[in-house]
Amino acid sequence: MISLSQSIDRMEEAIAERTPLEKEHVQIIAFMFPLIFFIVAFILMPVLGTLYDSLMRDVIYMEKEFILFENFRYLFTDPGFWNAMRFTFLFVIISVPLELAIGLMIALVMNEPIPMRGLLRACVLIPWAIPAAVSGRVFELVYNYTYGAANWLLRITGISTEPVNWLGTEVGAFIAVVAADAWKTTPFAAIILLAGLAAISEDLYNQARIDRASFMTRFFRITLPLLKPVLVVTLLFRTIQALRIFDIIYVLTGGGPGGATESVSNFAYKYFTAGDFGYGSAASVILFILALLLSVTYVKISGFGKE
Amino acid sequence: MRRHNPGMARQVVRGWLLLLSLLFLIGCGWKDAEDGIVFAVGGAPSELAVWEKVVKKFQEQNDIQVSLLRQPANSQQQLQGLMVALKSEQKNPDVFLMDVAWVGLFSEAGWLEPLDELDQSAFFSDLLQQTDIYGGKLMAAPVYLDGGILYYRKDLLEMGGLSGPPRTWTELAESGRKVQTIRRKDDPDFYGFVWQGAQYEGLVVNFLEFAGSKGGIRLEKEKGGVRVKMEENLVALRFMRDLIWDYEISPPSTYTEMQEEEVRNFFQSGSAMYERNWPYAWTLHQGEGSPVRGKVGIAPLPDPEGGKTVSTLGGYHIGVSRYSDQKDDAQKFAAFVTSKEAQRMVVLELGWNPGRSDLYDDEKILAEYPHFKQFKEIFRKARPRPVIPYYMQVSNVLQTYISGTLARNFSPEEALEKAQTEIDSIENRYSEGKSKYGKEGGS
Repeated sequence: MISLSQSIDRMEEAIAERTPLEKEHVQIIAFMFPLIFFIVAFILMPVLGTLYDSLMRDVIYMEKEFILFENFRYLFTDPGFWNAMRFTFLFVIISVPLELAIGLMIALVMNEPIPMRGLLRACVLIPWAIPAAVSGRVFELVYNYTYGAANWLLRITGISTEPVNWLGTEVGAFIAVVAADAWKTTPFAAIILLAGLAAISEDLYNQARIDRASFMTRFFRITLPLLKPVLVVTLLFRTIQALRIFDIIYVLTGGGPGGATESVSNFAYKYFTAGDFGYGSAASVILFILALLLSVTYVKISGFGKE
Repeated sequence: MRRHNPGMARQVVRGWLLLLSLLFLIGCGWKDAEDGIVFAVGGAPSELAVWEKVVKKFQEQNDIQVSLLRQPANSQQQLQGLMVALKSEQKNPDVFLMDVAWVGLFSEAGWLEPLDELDQSAFFSDLLQQTDIYGGKLMAAPVYLDGGILYYRKDLLEMGGLSGPPRTWTELAESGRKVQTIRRKDDPDFYGFVWQGAQYEGLVVNFLEFAGSKGGIRLEKEKGGVRVKMEENLVALRFMRDLIWDYEISPPSTYTEMQEEEVRNFFQSGSAMYERNWPYAWTLHQGEGSPVRGKVGIAPLPDPEGGKTVSTLGGYHIGVSRYSDQKDDAQKFAAFVTSKEAQRMVVLELGWNPGRSDLYDDEKILAEYPHFKQFKEIFRKARPRPVIPYYMQVSNVLQTYISGTLARNFSPEEALEKAQTEIDSIENRYSEGKSKYGKEGGS
């Protein structure tokens, strides 16, 4: 056995023998070590662990066994899984464009020299700073049948004396989840897009004004094309986040009514807590592959990273 | 190019190696500092305070150190905590409380040490047979019991000119409707009957009561295959749906919001005639400041024809970990927790329903809680949830489809058909694996 100090000494000797260029490489690696360590320990290992587990029969009361793609075979014939996939896709397709559109509008307003802009920008960020579980609980109070704010509004404005069970129908619960998520994550889109807008040179707009370009022309000819790289990044982040939506649903609807708002993450969680780690991992792996494919597609389509 | 400092890399590497080795050493040294056994238990602060007293009493009588491992109040989180420790074969906790619904899973997983020394005569024998005895051995013992009961408003019964609490489903629906119509004049939010209908475990508990009293779903581990697609279950499911949409005596929020506490608050605020809940609600309804104080009565749950009431068994059982390094001491503690002395303490402090049957005739306890006489009959006949190791998976499927029926996304026929297909698929998948317990024969 070599002791720790001995091995450090050896490493130092080895470093001392290197040429200056090699020394610099060693230095680079030394500085990168913490980052690499954390990526391996907290991202790569859990991902590989999940991949490994998805190939196992890992149910707490059974012998652990390697079963190759057996979990996936059952997963693909499981109506509960397809129901979760359907919901997750619908959720991504509807919530992400909605959040980006509203976020862009907010960013455009905040980019103008309006009074109290700093305060406004800070206020817009508040929903993003609130944990998703908390905002889920807040929305639960809004939609609550007996004492919720939404039904109270209906009553005092005289629109309806009969309370509405907002979370009680498939469509209603879906809209409620999208609204809660949009409220929480639109500020994220807004702030990133605002940073993108700030980077566009004011000279371009002044030039366009001289040419008497209308607001719409300026928006579509200058703002949108120059904002594209930032838009793609925002789209990428939001899509991946929306794909793995979990907390708001867990708190707000619990996946109900009748599984109408159950996402793939909620589906996987259900199996993890029931003690079937293999099956839960298999569902997570599908989600991981989808996110990976989407990321690659976005990057390819947008030519992001290529100048 | 910038000149680099040749000593720097060395320092950085050294620093990181030092930090890592420190972390490693801390990791190795992270042993349980305390001697003695560890008892994992969750609950409200008031409950944990009582457990501390129980531990203190035990330590006075025995020369064994016990430390409390405080778990959250949420039972799902308690389960996760125990599962992580037991799956990784940790020595601690040595002894813990389990929800009755997990006993089958824990037994089958081989996580429980049989409680061979424990005297079984003091418990409800049917209950032990159906939940705690696994492979011929006593794996756990009931610490406190729960069972579904019907709470009713005595004053409203009188107002509606009714002779007593409902015994049948028809009586429940009709009397609930009658009183609701009268009460709605003053209270537009008044409802006849509130119960647990949100998409969670409590929904399955309620379904097992409705269906069980009709003679439907009842699963024994020996018989294998879970059958839900049957006429009796269909009738029960239709009745549950009709309570909301046809008789309209249960609020539409039943299937979106109603868990135990929502139901209790609804009834306690005075806006309901009948309530299905666990016994814990009794002390709260009768507590100071409760609007329904002194107006509440309890009865067995109604059933289709009358006289065949079914109540689902709930509550917590104590078990000793198979991986404990102090099994003898842990067994002694488990025996103490289920002893008359400790049980009486818990009952008198918290109003819990003891796991021992003999305390329901105890004069001191009856003087404090006269309603325990009625509970004894209910618990004696209470039915456990299906004792199968994959119960939670089955419950998840049932939750989805029963909730979907209550929301009218599916017809009851369609719901049971789909639930059966999914349950069959789960059983199919698990039938290919080897059970741990089966292999080791419960050594």
